[in-house]
Amino acid sequence: MSQRVRWSTALQNLKTMLIPGKYGLERWSYTLQRVSGVVVSLYFIAHVLETGSFVGGVTVWAIPDYDFAERAYREAVSFLKNPIFDAGLAVIGLLVVFHTINGVRLVLAHFGLVLGSPRRREILETPASFSNRQRALFWLSISLAIFAMLYTLDALMGVFRP
Amino acid sequence: MEAVRFRVHRFRPEDGHRGSFREYQVPKKKGMTVLDGLIYIKENLDPTLSVRYSCRMAICGSCGMRVNGMEVLACNTQIVELEKKVITVEPMKNYPLIKDIVVDMSEFFVKQKNLKTWLIRKDVVEQENPTRQYAQTEEELEKILQFTYCIQCGLCYSACPVVSNLPQFLGPQALMKLYRYLADNRDEGEDRLAAVDKFEGVWRCHFAGSCSTVCPKGVDPALAIQLLRRAALK
Repeated sequence: MSQRVRWSTALQNLKTMLIPGKYGLERWSYTLQRVSGVVVSLYFIAHVLETGSFVGGVTVWAIPDYDFAERAYREAVSFLKNPIFDAGLAVIGLLVVFHTINGVRLVLAHFGLVLGSPRRREILETPASFSNRQRALFWLSISLAIFAMLYTLDALMGVFRP
Repeated sequence: MEAVRFRVHRFRPEDGHRGSFREYQVPKKKGMTVLDGLIYIKENLDPTLSVRYSCRMAICGSCGMRVNGMEVLACNTQIVELEKKVITVEPMKNYPLIKDIVVDMSEFFVKQKNLKTWLIRKDVVEQENPTRQYAQTEEELEKILQFTYCIQCGLCYSACPVVSNLPQFLGPQALMKLYRYLADNRDEGEDRLAAVDKFEGVWRCHFAGSCSTVCPKGVDPALAIQLLRRAALK
């Protein structure tokens, strides 16, 4: 396989993962679950690095001088206290809540608990795996995620306060 | 007569790249399917076009392809129902390309065969020369009936995003077919479950549901895989 074909295949695979196309709600769930998982994981790494730097980066493993640690903490807090990071945290709130609730839905679906039973089926009939119960859980995860984002926006930036 | 524009994927293996699209104007007739359009192109406009088809009535499963971004049987897709002026025809994904829109489905069939997706009885002599009928109740039949409608067209395998990212994944069709036999009360081949109780087996399915969306025969592989997963835990 030539290098060009290999890159083209990798790009095609990435598109398959990121673009749900016309496949329906469950495919959107798949894409959103993967994207939210990756973004939250990257945020978690960045968060650990950022909080680690409060007490002087790699010196986190030693007990730093109190004044130095306090100064570093205040600098970090003042650096992070701006609308861009606050909006970013609201998006993280959205993704974390969506990933959690949708994850519970997926676990239930994986064990066949919120799906229908195998039955005689006409071609245009909705598949039993696309049951109302599991789809309701998907919409619940979307609703709670939006609520979490709005709550975070209000808590950090006071967007809904007079 | 009104014409419809076909954008057809063309590929020759000797060219060494993924191919390109060529456009054809096809006169549109009432009741014309995408397969009819492709046959018109082959007979009247470009005899070098390769298309795989056989029964023309959604039974054989030969003419699976992607039309306007969705996996369909070309013989089962009416041009009028697409409601588009341009019809883009591509080969199925997740299969090696042979030529134009014809793919190599060998691996798809091998995966199914490796799972021994046929009825297994402990008494082989009785299975080959049955001395009585092995009747099923209505309830026993309901458990497997829809899964027996699979025509092995491979559309589910093409639509599956997991196969796309992990080619070793057994795929929706093979797993569904195995569930069909494990759920059959006449089957006694229980040891087959171990073959799918692994990373590339039932545990890799992410329930994206695309397999059940595209199935032209109304089979629900997503449901079968989740039930198979439950069986693997017991």
